[in-house]
Amino acid sequence: MQHLDPDRLVLLAFSDSPADDEAVHLSECAGCRAEIDALKHVTELGSETQELRDLPPPPDRVWTGIAAEVAKAEAAPAPVVDLTAVRRSGRRRMPRWAGPVVSAAAAAVLAVAGTVTVIRWMDRPAAPDVTASATLEPLKGVPDTARGDARVLSGAALEVDVRNLPLTPGHYEIWLIDPEDITKMQAIGAVPQGTDAVQLPIPPGTDLNRYRLVDVSAEPNDGNSAHSGNSLLRGTLTS
Amino acid sequence: MSDLSGRDDELAQHFRDGDEHALRIAYDRYGSAVFHLATRLLPNRADAEDVTQATFVAAWLGRGTFDPDRGGMLSWLLGIARRKAIDRMRAAARETRVTDTVRALPEPPPVDESPERVLDRLIVADELARLPVEQRRTLELAFYDDLTHPQISAVTGMPLGTVKSHIRRGMASLRRRWEVDGATPGPRSAGTTRILG
Repeated sequence: MQHLDPDRLVLLAFSDSPADDEAVHLSECAGCRAEIDALKHVTELGSETQELRDLPPPPDRVWTGIAAEVAKAEAAPAPVVDLTAVRRSGRRRMPRWAGPVVSAAAAAVLAVAGTVTVIRWMDRPAAPDVTASATLEPLKGVPDTARGDARVLSGAALEVDVRNLPLTPGHYEIWLIDPEDITKMQAIGAVPQGTDAVQLPIPPGTDLNRYRLVDVSAEPNDGNSAHSGNSLLRGTLTS
Repeated sequence: MSDLSGRDDELAQHFRDGDEHALRIAYDRYGSAVFHLATRLLPNRADAEDVTQATFVAAWLGRGTFDPDRGGMLSWLLGIARRKAIDRMRAAARETRVTDTVRALPEPPPVDESPERVLDRLIVADELARLPVEQRRTLELAFYDDLTHPQISAVTGMPLGTVKSHIRRGMASLRRRWEVDGATPGPRSAGTTRILG
C-alpha cells in the first residue's frame, strides 16, 4: 500500500481510527507514523489554545518599568566595559612612546592608501583616559556630511561617535584594520541605527600599533560575519 | 509607523535597528504572551510582572543578538522570558533553602506542565491567529468544539472538500511554525529526538 493521503493523515491525527489496510501500512511505515504523531501533537496544542485567544495584557506598570529602564540604559552609553576597573589595573595598550611611531605610520598610510583625506591632530583636549583617537572621514561615494570620531579609552575600549551616516537596511559595524595589510582586521562591534555613540570593548591582545585604522562599514544582516567591502568612514588612531 | 503594524519581519527589522516605536509595538503585540508564560511558571504575580519587564528590557538592550533566521520574534522573546523565569525560580528555591530551615519541602511548582509546553502552545495560538479567516474558523471548530469534518461542513455550509482543504493547509502552517519556533526540539536542532504523546 502506498503512503497515506495528506487529508487522511490529518483526519487520523484528529480522531479517526485507521481502517484495517491503513493500520497495516502504519505498522510498517515509520514515515507515516511520524507524520501522524507530529500532526497529533499540533492538534493537542491547538485544542489547548482556546484560553489564549484573548490574553489579558500585563498591567500598565510593566510598560512604565520597561520605558524607565530603557531610558536609563540609553542615557548611560553602553557600559560594555568597566573602565574604572581597567584604569585600576593600569593596563595600557598604547605606550606613550607609540604616538610618534603611529603618526609616522599613519602618514605613510595617507600617502599610500589615499583614503584618509585629513588627519586632525588631536583636535580636542583629551580626557585623561583617552589613549588614542581618530577623526573618521567619509570615503568616496559617501555623503560629505557623514562624520565620526573614535577614541580609545585606557587602551581597552573604543568609543565611536557617528553622524549623518547614509541609511542602510542592515547595520553599521566598527572594525580595526591593519593599514599595512588591509586583509587583517578585527570586528569590534555594531552601531545600532539611530544611535550616535557606542562604546565597545577592544578584544584583549589587540595590538593597536598595528590595528590602528578605524573603519565603519555598512553590513547587510545576512549572517555573513566578513567585512562587506562597503566602508563608509575611516580614520587612523593617533595618540 | 504604519508599516510596522502588520508584518513581523518588518517589526523585527525596526527593532534591531533601534527604533523605539518598534519596542512599544513588540510589547503591545507580544507582551500578553510573555506575561502569560511568566504567570504560568511563577507562583507570584509580582515575579511574573518583573520577569515580563526584564524580558523586554533585555530584548531591547540585546536586540543585536536577535537572528531572524533562527526563528520569529515571539519565539525569541518567549525564550528570554523562559530563561529569566527559570532563573527566578532557582533563586527563590535557594532563598527558601537558606532562610526557611523549618519547612522541609520546597514550594511545589505552580504548574504541572513544562515551560516548553506553555511556550509551544503560545506559538501555535499565535500562528492560528495569523491564518486566513476560513482556515482559522474551521480549525477552531475542530479544536474547540471537537466537530468532525462533515459536522463542520454542515455548520458552516462549506462543501466537505473545502473544509478538508482548509484544515489540511491550516494544520500544515501550524506544524511548520511549531517546528520553527517551538521549544520542543524541531528540525533546527538536529540530533535530538522529538517525543510525541
